[in-house]
Amino acid sequence: MDANAMIDALLEVLRGQIARAREIQRLPAELLLKRPAQGKWNALEVFEHMNLSSGVYARGIAKVFGGQAARHPANPVFKAGFLGDFSTKAMLPKPDGRIAWRMKTLRMFDPPRQHGASSESIARFIALCECFLRLLEQARGTDLNRMKVVSSLGPILCFKAGDAFRFPIAHQQRHFLQIERLLAQ
Amino acid sequence: MELVCHTIERYVALTDDEWARIAPCWREYAYSKGAAVCAVGQVEQRFYIVRSGVQRLSFPHDGQDVCVGFGYDGSWSGEYASFISRKPARFDVVAMTDSVLLGITYDELQQLYKEVPVMERFGRMIVEELLLGRATREIEQMSMSAEERYDRLVARSPHLLQLVPQKDIASYLRMTPRPSAGCGAGVLDPGQAAACAPARCFAPWMRTR
Repeated sequence: MDANAMIDALLEVLRGQIARAREIQRLPAELLLKRPAQGKWNALEVFEHMNLSSGVYARGIAKVFGGQAARHPANPVFKAGFLGDFSTKAMLPKPDGRIAWRMKTLRMFDPPRQHGASSESIARFIALCECFLRLLEQARGTDLNRMKVVSSLGPILCFKAGDAFRFPIAHQQRHFLQIERLLAQ
Repeated sequence: MELVCHTIERYVALTDDEWARIAPCWREYAYSKGAAVCAVGQVEQRFYIVRSGVQRLSFPHDGQDVCVGFGYDGSWSGEYASFISRKPARFDVVAMTDSVLLGITYDELQQLYKEVPVMERFGRMIVEELLLGRATREIEQMSMSAEERYDRLVARSPHLLQLVPQKDIASYLRMTPRPSAGCGAGVLDPGQAAACAPARCFAPWMRTR
């Protein structure tokens, strides 16, 4: 696929998420804490979950970019890896907003079993998305096929740098649907 | 923000103008269960009034958390010592249930103290209240048995027993079970230690220090 078109599409999704997160920041605290049932996540915990999981990729990409981005000449074509493509498509909500392929959260990404979530979680989420924006701009000048980023499953699954952008952003899209459901309660 | 107004007016009367200056300085903060409001080593940025939820104030000691207080509906919360000293906190403040706190930052509170004289009086009165509470607790800690401390707590804040897990109450009353803590176990033989055990326990595993 066209690397620049992919980057543009991801930038647009991220900007939309940042704008929505800023609106959500201003909602009443009680609504942000509201749980659909005991033991279920509230909106803040969903934000913190995204911080924990997407943070792995933001740090991973920043690390490989720091070491290698300058060495690879810009490549206008990105060919998604098999597992990267499969995982991203599995993450993306269906066109009708349905979520296929539900999965159990890893302990390390489950806020209640980590250090909890607070209003700060939304601010940190916005900062994380802005970090992705900067990395995506940097991505235009390098080759996203040539660098590998360790996935959140650990070194048993590495994504190509391009997939390391697509996967967490698709994962965030899925969770934004969850947030909208929680806020509509 | 009504809660802030009511809370301040428990101490001093506010005019509409004063309230209009004070209200925008307070903002609401949400903490989900388990989140740290302030952690050891951080500088506490805000002073809070609790709108809902329970928070625990504790410090780590010997691999355990020693609980020294709670925040709950209508009370103060946060790490006040760090807030006023601007030094790293020595206590952890953790939300034990989903909590909504109304907070004011240090700079804004200082600005209010300067601009609104009645706020300075409010500030003085809170510190007096905190100091009295501290003095009372000190006497309770030094001179009372665990049972008496428990009875005092029941008399003073009965609702806490519903809100807080028993182990935190036990820690607050300094009744945390520790192998070396029960009546100087290790010094006394088991028979003597049993003779020292309190006549009434509210949980079988608890022993007085």
